Amino acid sequence: MGGERTAVLGVGQTHYRSTRGDVSMAGLVREAAMRALADAGLGWSDIDAVVIGKAPDFFEGLMMPELYLADALGCVGKPILRVHTAGSVGGSTALVATSLIQGRIHRRVLTLGFEKQSESNATWALSLPQPFSVSINAGAGGYFSPIMRQYMVRSGAPELVGCMVAFKDRQHALSNPYAHLRQHDLTFDQVVEAPMLWDPIRFSETCPSSDGACAMVLGDEAAGDASPRPVAWVHGTAMRSEANNFPGRDEVNPQASRDCAADVFRQAGISDPRREIDVVEMYVPFSWFEPIWLESLGFAERDRGWRMVEEGATRLDGGDLPVNCSGGVLSSNPIGASGMIRFAEASLQVRGLAGDHQVDGARMALGHAYGGGAQYFAMWVVGADKP
Amino acid sequence: MTDQDVTGLPPLRADLVIEYPFIRTTGPVVGAFLTGLREAVLVGIRRADGTVMVPPVEYDPVTSEPLSEVVEVSSTGTIVSWTWVDPPRPGSPWDTPHGLALVLLDGADTPLLHGVLVDSPDQVATGLRVEAVWKSERVGHITDLVGFAPVARDTLEGS
Repeated sequence: MGGERTAVLGVGQTHYRSTRGDVSMAGLVREAAMRALADAGLGWSDIDAVVIGKAPDFFEGLMMPELYLADALGCVGKPILRVHTAGSVGGSTALVATSLIQGRIHRRVLTLGFEKQSESNATWALSLPQPFSVSINAGAGGYFSPIMRQYMVRSGAPELVGCMVAFKDRQHALSNPYAHLRQHDLTFDQVVEAPMLWDPIRFSETCPSSDGACAMVLGDEAAGDASPRPVAWVHGTAMRSEANNFPGRDEVNPQASRDCAADVFRQAGISDPRREIDVVEMYVPFSWFEPIWLESLGFAERDRGWRMVEEGATRLDGGDLPVNCSGGVLSSNPIGASGMIRFAEASLQVRGLAGDHQVDGARMALGHAYGGGAQYFAMWVVGADKP
Repeated sequence: MTDQDVTGLPPLRADLVIEYPFIRTTGPVVGAFLTGLREAVLVGIRRADGTVMVPPVEYDPVTSEPLSEVVEVSSTGTIVSWTWVDPPRPGSPWDTPHGLALVLLDGADTPLLHGVLVDSPDQVATGLRVEAVWKSERVGHITDLVGFAPVARDTLEGS
């Protein structure tokens, strides 16, 4: 990783809810942006540029958000850019913003992702008919379920590992005041007994539909040094993509995912991720993607990721590699923001500001997002120390 | 360029219609504007320097500060500039030839773009005084405002 050292100066999130009927999209993004500025101890005049991301336009029918939202985001007289990479957009948006600092184009950049799922229907938007393919109208769950079964068969994973992931993330969410699903009385048996949606995925193993926004203020090295609160330093950034269908494609462990992880860890000087990374925020919209990504990212040997789940290695209480301490996508899913929440939560952990879901002594964290048919990957490694 | 597919026949076209009834959460400011329309009242928002924007916006377009002081403006105003549309374009809200004008409502500092409901371009002019024409059944939607028509003849003197 070259260029200017980049720091996360501030993080701001809205509470994630099924419906935020009290605010427009402008009001929603504004809420997250103001909190990020307050966390950074900065004002609008300190921001040089804004980089915004959201899910595909069909998801809530807002075309050209960069035009509509410019005044809500203090963009008068400044550049605003929009990033667009399906579900990974929150991650890639943060990385485009980072590149503007690394390239010394700007000194402080506000980056933000949002979604108002209550104004649309993501399953509809994910199931648009095309003249050349059958429309199964099953959204992401119907698309990914056969891939999750493929993982179960080839790894020999016990059937209830997915339920263990879902139960763990919902328990983690109880420690995160921003989380959408906060099911205090949920039991493991209830997770297991939930209706099957797309076998092997139960209703309890899927993400909710959320309204919400997440913002970060990024700065250059001088801005990081001057920050009144602890900052997170960016140690590596990587993005990769691939087609969703080609001969020989490994849908369970896409080449783009492996390449992206290898690149980001190389930049961060990490050779043994399981030992050197303290906490992970990964994109797990359906339960089985936790063991799938644990393997793809190099935290577990092939076909062994599910054992980490079974052993409790990814739990906040007692695990050696806590995953999704915030409750993850399984507990809050404003799609266009979900990737950025992963990146922001990773930053909060190494800043020591994650509150009740803080991993004690976290120094290095991975933020991870994927999108499309597991085609787009965005990752960053952030640390408490300068790279 | 080819006009045949691999079978030697002309390639077919596939229709693709995509529709979805999205919802818009208006928030307190745009919500106040729509509520006004339902009551046949036009409102704007006051900025820190005292100027009033119509329609109202949630955040100041210069300072980005949040705006919250909703103020009623007149349903009568003055044409700042205009064009004439004949015949009406496909999809137009009006089915007869009409004007489109920037109307500066009394009490507002930004003009509103809307239709001018007259029979010929001879009846439109910069400086013309116009007033809102409302639907009788209003629901709180921008279409509650049908357009603008010239106010009584005596106010036109000198225009």
